[in-house]
Amino acid sequence: MQDARLRLFAVVILSVAAFLSMTGAIAAFFWWMIFTQGIRTIAKSPFALFFLGFTASVSALVWLSGGDGFSYLVRMAVILLLAFYAYSDRAPGEFLDLSVWFFGRKIGFDIGLAAEMSLQGMEVLSDEMKRIRVAFRLKEMKFGLRSIVPAAGLLIYSQFVRAEEQADLLAIRGYRGGGMVCPEFKGGKGDLLAFAFAILPLILVFIPLGDIFILLH
Amino acid sequence: MELEFTDIRVERGSFFIRGSGAFAPGIHLVSGRVGSGKTTLAMIAAGLGQPDSGSINRHGINSVMLSMQFPEQHLTGSTLESEIASWHLHPAPVLALAGLSGRERDDPFSLSRGELKRLHLACIFSHRFDLLILDEPFSALDCREKITTADWIGRIRGGITIIFTHENQHLPRVDYLWEIQEGVLVFLGSVPDALGRWKNKPAVISRLHKRGIFPENVSTKDILEAACRMQD
Repeated sequence: MQDARLRLFAVVILSVAAFLSMTGAIAAFFWWMIFTQGIRTIAKSPFALFFLGFTASVSALVWLSGGDGFSYLVRMAVILLLAFYAYSDRAPGEFLDLSVWFFGRKIGFDIGLAAEMSLQGMEVLSDEMKRIRVAFRLKEMKFGLRSIVPAAGLLIYSQFVRAEEQADLLAIRGYRGGGMVCPEFKGGKGDLLAFAFAILPLILVFIPLGDIFILLH
Repeated sequence: MELEFTDIRVERGSFFIRGSGAFAPGIHLVSGRVGSGKTTLAMIAAGLGQPDSGSINRHGINSVMLSMQFPEQHLTGSTLESEIASWHLHPAPVLALAGLSGRERDDPFSLSRGELKRLHLACIFSHRFDLLILDEPFSALDCREKITTADWIGRIRGGITIIFTHENQHLPRVDYLWEIQEGVLVFLGSVPDALGRWKNKPAVISRLHKRGIFPENVSTKDILEAACRMQD
């Protein structure tokens, strides 16, 4: 999906559908399979396996404590897949455009700027993690549980340094809140079709599949 | 002992870098502008990255070390003492070499980036490696420290040392010169003959060449010596 607005709406609708019921989650999963790059979206998202693994662990705990762990796993996994898709398909500056388009040049600009900086921060974190692993490899040290403290220390430190540098830059450029951005959105060929199909899972949540066939009769 | 690149190519969107060549024992200077692909090549040379195509062969190389541009990326210890110990070294001589004696218990993050770089380089130069790759070893250092670092590098004996840098003022004496020219890694040859073929050579060497004076090497000492010849 090229149009960031349609993509965002589609992801929100599908996430709500997946959260509300198993039927919605399965339908949203099919949408993800058909209209996105599927498994490749996971590869582009940092920490994807960590989040999926964490969800699986929580699901196991829910199941062990007598809850419906399977339903939780399916619904949350589909929401995560949609999130990975939204992350992998975005282009730099898109959140700023979206936010300004939604909320205007004052508060919208601030929210968009914060979102862009956070997303950039995630990319930097992912890059830093790779470098930390390289450092451990170079020193012939195993990267395990004991590495968490130095690695986390470095990550926090680098984020603080980055935040300070960005704050200085904003101050130098005279930023006091709000700013000028003219949002532009590209449209894709199949965008409307993909968006229309994104609504279906939500309909299925409220109208059971059997009832649809009765209505069709 | 040799490191060999055979038709390697890396492409990331509009960026690309390619090249072939063999790195023999000695000190190699790979010069290139910011963003020309030096770090990518350094990672590949260290075996920590793979090219999209082509191959890398190491002959007779048993120990490899890469010094990354940002010294904090090497940190694994929570004190200077433990950081130095993670390099399997005794703290006192390394701290003395880095000019940080008596600061064993300090947090590495309390050091400035320049001090951290000095500490990191002191750890690196306290070892001997068959293949030592230095990615921007002069970054974050002031002029005096750059000269000291260039001096440390110049004292390395044995093995292959490759310096990837855009620095063109304070350099060590080197044996071979390479340049990244519009995405292509080009071997310019042995120094001093290669200096004439160096496209983006330091301004001071260009000026000397224009006056028909050819420094023996690229180090500050060699350039000063050539400049003195000019005055004679």
